[in-house]
Amino acid sequence: MNEKSHIVKSYEEQLLLLKDTIVKMGTKAEKQLELSIQAMVRKDLELAKKIITDDEQIDRYEFSIEEQVVNLIALRQPMAIDLRETVVALKISSDLERIGDLSKNIAKRIISIQEVISSELIKGLEIAGLKTVRQVNLVLNSYLHRDKDITENVWNSDEEIDQLTNSNMEMVLKKLETEKNQIQLTQLLFIAKNIERIGDHATNIAEQVYFLITGDYLEGQRPKG
Amino acid sequence: MNNKRKNFLEKRYKSEKRFQLFGLASISLALIFLAIFLIKIFSNGYSAFTKTWIFVEVNYDRELLLLEENPSSEDLNNADYYDIAYQSIIALDPEVDESSETFLIEMFAYNYELEIKNYLKKNPSDLGKIVKLKLTASDDIDQINKGNYPRDIPEENRRVNNYQLKIFDMLEARGDIINTFNLSFFTNPDSREAELAGIASSFMGTLFSILVCLVFSFPIAVLAGIYLEEFAPKNKFTDFIEVNINNLAAVPSIVFGLLGLGVLINIFGLPRSTPLVGGITLSLMTLPTIIIAARASLKAVPPSIKEAALAMGASKMQTTLHHAVPLSMPGTLSGTIIGLAQALGETAPLILIGMVAFVNTIPGSPLDPAASLPVQVYIWSESAERGFVEKVSACIMVLLIFLITMNLTAQIIRHRFEKKWS
Amino acid sequence: MKSKISAKGVNVYYGEKQALKNISIEIGEKEVTALIGPSGCGKSTFLRCLNRMNDVIDICRVEGSIKFDNLEINSKELDVVRLRENVGMVFQKPNPFPKTIYENIAYGPTIHGLVQSKQELDEIVETSLKKAALWNEVKDRLHEIGTGLSGGQQQRLCIARAISIKPEVILMDEPCSALDPIATAQIEELIDELKNEHTIVIVTHSMSQAARVSQKTGFFHLGNLIEFDSTEKIFKNPGNQQTQDYITGRFG
Repeated sequence: MNEKSHIVKSYEEQLLLLKDTIVKMGTKAEKQLELSIQAMVRKDLELAKKIITDDEQIDRYEFSIEEQVVNLIALRQPMAIDLRETVVALKISSDLERIGDLSKNIAKRIISIQEVISSELIKGLEIAGLKTVRQVNLVLNSYLHRDKDITENVWNSDEEIDQLTNSNMEMVLKKLETEKNQIQLTQLLFIAKNIERIGDHATNIAEQVYFLITGDYLEGQRPKG
Repeated sequence: MNNKRKNFLEKRYKSEKRFQLFGLASISLALIFLAIFLIKIFSNGYSAFTKTWIFVEVNYDRELLLLEENPSSEDLNNADYYDIAYQSIIALDPEVDESSETFLIEMFAYNYELEIKNYLKKNPSDLGKIVKLKLTASDDIDQINKGNYPRDIPEENRRVNNYQLKIFDMLEARGDIINTFNLSFFTNPDSREAELAGIASSFMGTLFSILVCLVFSFPIAVLAGIYLEEFAPKNKFTDFIEVNINNLAAVPSIVFGLLGLGVLINIFGLPRSTPLVGGITLSLMTLPTIIIAARASLKAVPPSIKEAALAMGASKMQTTLHHAVPLSMPGTLSGTIIGLAQALGETAPLILIGMVAFVNTIPGSPLDPAASLPVQVYIWSESAERGFVEKVSACIMVLLIFLITMNLTAQIIRHRFEKKWS
Repeated sequence: MKSKISAKGVNVYYGEKQALKNISIEIGEKEVTALIGPSGCGKSTFLRCLNRMNDVIDICRVEGSIKFDNLEINSKELDVVRLRENVGMVFQKPNPFPKTIYENIAYGPTIHGLVQSKQELDEIVETSLKKAALWNEVKDRLHEIGTGLSGGQQQRLCIARAISIKPEVILMDEPCSALDPIATAQIEELIDELKNEHTIVIVTHSMSQAARVSQKTGFFHLGNLIEFDSTEKIFKNPGNQQTQDYITGRFG
């Protein structure tokens, strides 16, 4: 951070608070995602329920960020880097909120799976899930440290998640043809899709962070979503 | 601590009050002096605005006047009125003895015969009739009537003897002494006789001088002011000129009088004692005042207006003439009037160029000899007669009214226009 | 975008002090160029180079080339009266002439001999006031004193006066700094309208105003032109750290 600080200290403090809130919200969303993958692997229904109730915290963070952003725009009229900081915060917060929602959705589906599912399928989902957790973690670090390289890495690695999701879904679809517990399998299909969507949100955040740092948009073909 | 601050505060308030008090005291002192001056002038001078007349029955006897019936106006003019005038006045006291007749005559202004003649010329039909006429009383009787002259000093020190006093009292008891507004003070030129002396000549002289002064000084001064302020380069030479203009404003007026005498009269041969020479001399004095006023009011024109004009593509001259000069005019004009008012009160230079001469005609143009009001004050204050004392004060009052009118005009011009422009 | 004014290597000195250092800038035709920067940065000085208003200041010396189309502005032979006919100016403090509204507008066309008849003059007065969005407010009192209007109206009167001689370029030196926000908004709307027919260069202390009205923005600091780019770029993502510090309020 080689930025000089603002002449108006309270403005500086408000921007720092906004950044801090984003980091906290991101940490919470990442945690929720990580726990939902854990709950799926361990079939831990208690954990799944906790995830569902904890989602409210993320919503509260989002609300707080929205309020801060509107106040900043109304009262401080941020320019240049501050403007990007403010606008990007709003967009990242909505992506993080979606990540939280999707994690909650995974937890809900875990509760309805109940019966033992082929561990081979769960394994595939776990790999994809952990990969997304890593993506979210990286992108949050790039936001915190304003690191353009990490951002680009995250953006480029989204394709791997897409590929993992595709193979996971194919496996589930094959099982669907042969096995009877179709409802549970369908839930797995949704979980796979959710993980892929979370990956997309991580990519969105990467784009925002890239814009925040450089003022430019990430070029090249956008990974398939 | 708190007490200390309180004391300190009290001290501050006290010193502020003290300061205001000093200011008030100075102003009061100035006002008192002004009041004393005005009261003195007014109490001395107000009586000059009235005039004493004595009613006399005049018998326009055709025989005595040696006139035909229905005489021509030429005949009326050429007739000898001395006898009927003398007779009419002597008739005021039926018991008059020969030695006292002169005293009776001396109670009237020396031109009583002319007054009697002028009446008949205006009313030829009164020939042969007895008419009750009012004749100007002599200066001494005038002063007695106004109460300005003490009656209780010994007769040999008095200008009015006991016999004249007796006749005066008798006439007054009869109601034949009247006091009216002294119109002749404004319409007569100067005279050796106080009761007939007026300010018409000096008033016109002053008016012409001021007009000449305005005509000469205003255009020159305004052009000089505009050039110096707006066009002249700022260098040593213009600084030198500026310093000298300021010095010129401080030169004693008598020096300008000498200049007028030496240059205008001796070299250019202009007629002396005339308002023309007086006005030009005064304009030399007024020039620096107007130049300074013109420059100051040009400087006071907001630069934003000049910039606006320049930015519209106006040339330097257009900017100056279209905008700066009109805006500066109220200031310049009031400066001019104040300069003229100063010139109005000047005596010394006018004395040097001969406007102190006794002038008993009313000037019709700036080329006729004339006096001026302040010089008239000077001339009359030199005269011995009691009647001139009040005339001096009256003349000062006229001069003051002249000055006040001019200053008021300056104020009005400044107010009226400055409000509009700012 | 075709360039209207092109400055190359402009240096300005006030006596010994250098006020502008090697300024080069291209001002595009029919667009609004805003010049921003802290006080004393030289932005007004530069603006006043463009219509030679610096001539008024004796100790001011301008070097370098400023081309207005193909006309060299900074040349001894230049007829400043003709230049100013084509480059109008609006000042910080509204400065209408202390004459009637009508006379204010009629002054320029009259001294430049642009009209032959009273009727033509009436038309110019009307169109100028209409373009300056002032006509409806003053049409019934054209013969009242211009200084009797409100501050915002006075400034619009000054703009109407400037456009009465149809200059190609209008220079504005902090035109809204003495006005309230409503009057400011009216002037800004006016600037937007005027850029269809005129090239406008505006010096402003208000960065948000620069952002609102201009297509190009130049940032001056200590006599240097630090950055000159599209307004969007300057306010979203300036290329220079000093520019960024200035517009985000991290200066000094």
